[in-house]
Amino acid sequence: MRATVWSGRNTVQVENVPDPKILNDRDAIVRITSTAICGSDLHLYDGYVPTVKKGDILGHEFMGEVVETGRGVSNLKAGDRVVVPFPIACGNCWSCEHELYALCENSNPNAHLAEKMFGHATAGIFGYSHLTGGYAGGQSEYARVPFADVGPIKIEDDLTDEQVLFLSDIFPTGFMGAEFCEISGGESIAVFGAGPVGQFAIASAVLLGAEQVIAIDQYDYRLQMAVNQAGATDVINFGEDASIVEQLKELTGGRGPDAVIDAVGMEATHGHGLLHTYDRVKQATRSESDRGHALRDAILACRPGGIVSVIGVYGGLMDKFPTGAFMNKGLTMKTGQCHVHRYAKRLYEHIRNGDIDPSFVVTHRVGLDVAPDAYETFKHKQDECVKVVLKP
Amino acid sequence: MKAAITVHKPRDEVRRLWSTSGYRPDYIEDSDASVEFKDAPGDRGTEIYVDIGDPTGGRLGAVVRGLFGGAALPKVKDDLRRFKQHVETGEIPRSDGSPEGERAERKLKQRPAQPLEQSELEKAAVR
Repeated sequence: MRATVWSGRNTVQVENVPDPKILNDRDAIVRITSTAICGSDLHLYDGYVPTVKKGDILGHEFMGEVVETGRGVSNLKAGDRVVVPFPIACGNCWSCEHELYALCENSNPNAHLAEKMFGHATAGIFGYSHLTGGYAGGQSEYARVPFADVGPIKIEDDLTDEQVLFLSDIFPTGFMGAEFCEISGGESIAVFGAGPVGQFAIASAVLLGAEQVIAIDQYDYRLQMAVNQAGATDVINFGEDASIVEQLKELTGGRGPDAVIDAVGMEATHGHGLLHTYDRVKQATRSESDRGHALRDAILACRPGGIVSVIGVYGGLMDKFPTGAFMNKGLTMKTGQCHVHRYAKRLYEHIRNGDIDPSFVVTHRVGLDVAPDAYETFKHKQDECVKVVLKP
Repeated sequence: MKAAITVHKPRDEVRRLWSTSGYRPDYIEDSDASVEFKDAPGDRGTEIYVDIGDPTGGRLGAVVRGLFGGAALPKVKDDLRRFKQHVETGEIPRSDGSPEGERAERKLKQRPAQPLEQSELEKAAVR
């Protein structure tokens, strides 16, 4: 089959690789009909996530048609249309039973690697380095889906691929980021980053009843999407010297947002002069893996007693974490890879009811074979790119 | 020094499976290491402790090193994780990078994360 493989920093290629086979009884094989490039794939593409290996198939957002099932899978049959959640979860361990699917205790067969980095192993993830299991990803024609009796979301109506594809990751991820904010009605929420996850965090905050939702980005076309499609009430386009913290206070009567969502992660692009240079140098020399402007600003901007929701992906270590502000302002931080299985049914219902049409983020649709160009377009935000869908 | 893991099943079931062929953690059991089973707090299941002695030295440490070879702790941990996986999920999860499932030897020798060739499938004892 054809698959998108990582072949070194800033390089992916579409190559012929063997077709996946059923390896365990609870596996299924899915023929992929749509798959997407995620902002977090760029962290791998750029070489900032350790344990990515030449030849690894990338991609953790995919859907398609079941073609084969193992003996232990009775809920699916060949021909079923499914969206596959990006974390692989067994459904049996203590974490899965408590809906902490992205922390599944069994699905990562490289626990020894993960324990070295993080102290504990977290769930296996498709196409997302060997730290999360070394599973082949879904930017390909077929994928093997372990624990297929637990994960895949069956799509049983005529919604298009693009309307349901993002149940695999970015819609539930954005939703979890908003849910972390404990919105009960009337809050001000600031969302750092108006990429695809940021768009869904904004839309979800609106859905949950926030009164003011402020989108922060450096690209006007993304901020326009945030207002016109996702429902943001205010925007901040940060210029080189603009202080996001001051602007956020200005927009909230000096209080600061009740909760802030970091939908940026480890490769923040803005920053303040010297500190930004410091981060760039440290990250380039691999002595700091995470550039943390967005998270630092989120902490400084958040109102005392507020919540910092971190759904942007971080991979290692960050310098100059503002512990003083964090502690003295009595903030609460909530983080994590999304427990997609927890939200899938509820969000699928929202799509079916017409409360939201997640396809609004899609700006580019291309064939799998041009994935290398699509990575470049997405990375450099060319052609007003927000989200790329690949068609195998 | 002890290696430990928690299995999300009641103690009598965990004890029974521990000595059932197919589940039995051969590396640990063949070493005569002392193994202890305890009820975990709340709804968490059963804690298993394997005493691997003092791997840094001393007489007991030397005995343990003799029993376990050079890489005692990683191999004990593999056994514990595979036992937990098997008991909780009914299978040993395999990835493309680690097709045999959790193995300390794979730490530095990951396969690329892409599907296996036919010859590799046989080697990894699939089907």
